[in-house]
Amino acid sequence: MAILDWIVMLGTILTIVAYGVWKTRHVNTSESYLLGDRDLPWWTIGLSIMATQASAITFLSTPGQAFADGMRFAQFYFGLPVAMVFLSVFVLPIFYRLKVYTAYEYLENRFDLRTRTFTAILFLISRGLAAGLTIYAPAIIMSKILGWSLNYTILFIGILVIIYTVAGGTKAVSMTQKQQMIVILTGMFIAAIILIMQLPGDVSFGDAVGVAGKMGKLNVVDFTFDLSNRYTFWSGMLGGVFLFLSYFGTDQSQVQRYLSGKSLTESRLGLLFNGVFKVPMQFLILFVGILVFVFFQFTKPPLHFNQANIEKLAGTPLEGEYEQLLAQQDEVFEMQQSEIRELIAALNSDNEAAVSEAQEEVATLLAADRELREEAKGLILQQDPDAQVEDRDYVFITFIVRYLPIGLVGLLLAVIFSAAMSSTASELNALATTTVVDIYRRSFVSRGSDRHYLLASKWFTVLWGCVALLFAASASLFENLIQAVNIVGSLFYGTILGIFLVAFFLKWIGARAVFLAAVLAELIVIGLFLMTQYEISFMLFGRPITVNIAYLWLNLVGCGLVMFISLLLQGPSWKRIDTALGKG
Amino acid sequence: MQNEQTQNSQEPPGERPPIFRTWNQMYAFVLILHAVIITLFYLFTRAYS
Repeated sequence: MAILDWIVMLGTILTIVAYGVWKTRHVNTSESYLLGDRDLPWWTIGLSIMATQASAITFLSTPGQAFADGMRFAQFYFGLPVAMVFLSVFVLPIFYRLKVYTAYEYLENRFDLRTRTFTAILFLISRGLAAGLTIYAPAIIMSKILGWSLNYTILFIGILVIIYTVAGGTKAVSMTQKQQMIVILTGMFIAAIILIMQLPGDVSFGDAVGVAGKMGKLNVVDFTFDLSNRYTFWSGMLGGVFLFLSYFGTDQSQVQRYLSGKSLTESRLGLLFNGVFKVPMQFLILFVGILVFVFFQFTKPPLHFNQANIEKLAGTPLEGEYEQLLAQQDEVFEMQQSEIRELIAALNSDNEAAVSEAQEEVATLLAADRELREEAKGLILQQDPDAQVEDRDYVFITFIVRYLPIGLVGLLLAVIFSAAMSSTASELNALATTTVVDIYRRSFVSRGSDRHYLLASKWFTVLWGCVALLFAASASLFENLIQAVNIVGSLFYGTILGIFLVAFFLKWIGARAVFLAAVLAELIVIGLFLMTQYEISFMLFGRPITVNIAYLWLNLVGCGLVMFISLLLQGPSWKRIDTALGKG
Repeated sequence: MQNEQTQNSQEPPGERPPIFRTWNQMYAFVLILHAVIITLFYLFTRAYS
């Protein structure tokens, strides 16, 4: 990496960290530390919410997703604006009226201390593990691409985040996220412009978009109703609303962002800001991926994007076979050049028959290219059966380090690191706040001075930072790390959401019913998971029953069970049901 | 109408949106804008498919 890139990257990252520490140097009360004096304007809240959700993996994976699968992933976010409106109408006024620090504090007001503590602990377990992954996942990619030590990359991200999060608490997190989002959006916008400028002289922007469209990459909206299709309008609008309600309404790393608003109005506007700009932002990121796809139609891409995997073949008997695949890729790429230009000519002349013919030819060549890539992955797996051969997360970062001009490489790397730091900072901040407010102050040291709680908050931030670093540093010891963390999340998230839905909408259900329901639901979810994992079957009415539930469904099962068991234990409120049905 | 009255009665004083008269209008704006964005995405998909 050139010296200028180092200067730009480190200069951008360190300036933001120093800005965060300097601007929050007068934070000296626990309320100021945990809620940022509740003085943030809507646009800081909005950017902070967006920065918390957008981790480094968003910026590494999403363009790669568009490169491989087109733009249909945008539909995943279609439910988000609806969830933002829902939270603004029903949830935010309750949190404001009760002046809570955490989402779980509300549960004591609504139910009792047991339910609050139980939910807070579920959050701490799932989010504590996730914080390690938020650092580890980008670190493993960045270390491979930049040739850095994995542990130093983890330390680089982790230590910087801990410094400013410990120093300034919530306010430092929100203020740095504002700068980080500005860097991120500027960087992505510049990347899009550079990609357009790097198209060959005889290919216009319109031609490039036309080619991407004919290759099926601009499939933003799909109205077909198909449960097996992961990204459609319906899955985004139905599943997405459910998912985003639970994430933004019950996860303290998000709740803390909008609770630090100057007023209810500012917090609402922050949420609605996210509702308005999130979908277009995802569109921009995916479109950058499409431009990378078009760029690699005219510039020969690597046969496999993870260089570390290719290096495994060096000096082995498989190296020769890999060289042969490269030679075949050269031939396919050469043919592709003329066919794509024929497609562009046909598009420009509005000759539908010629368009169809050229489209078919290009599609055949792209299929041949995909086949060569699969063969390359096969060779890598032959050499190292444990190798991770999925390389779409490496597409965008490969473009950044190989094809961007000096200076901009540093800026785009700063974008990736900023994204990693912004989401990790929110997580550490939320973990410390929940530990202090819901556990430490509520159940252990209830009569401490404000200074005592301020110091405790700082030390708990350090502690959670160390836990995240430790988990990130030892993550490579575990197989299928991402899956492991997702499973842990799915084991607890459904129950948490179920408790909140009962709190908000089943007003007649009391503390004892919801607590027992939550404990039972959690035990059943863990039981179902273990039965699936270890293929345990049991007898029911003389017939053997085998449970096989994919872990993502456990979210829905946990949530549904809490609501259903609560209703069973408390009994339905027939009066309310009659009123709802118009019989009252 | 009844919903709006219920909601407004729960609103703390002075909590009005900056660009519309009521929050319901503000929410409607966000949702309509979202519908417009999806429509534009759909037209984009159709135009280039």
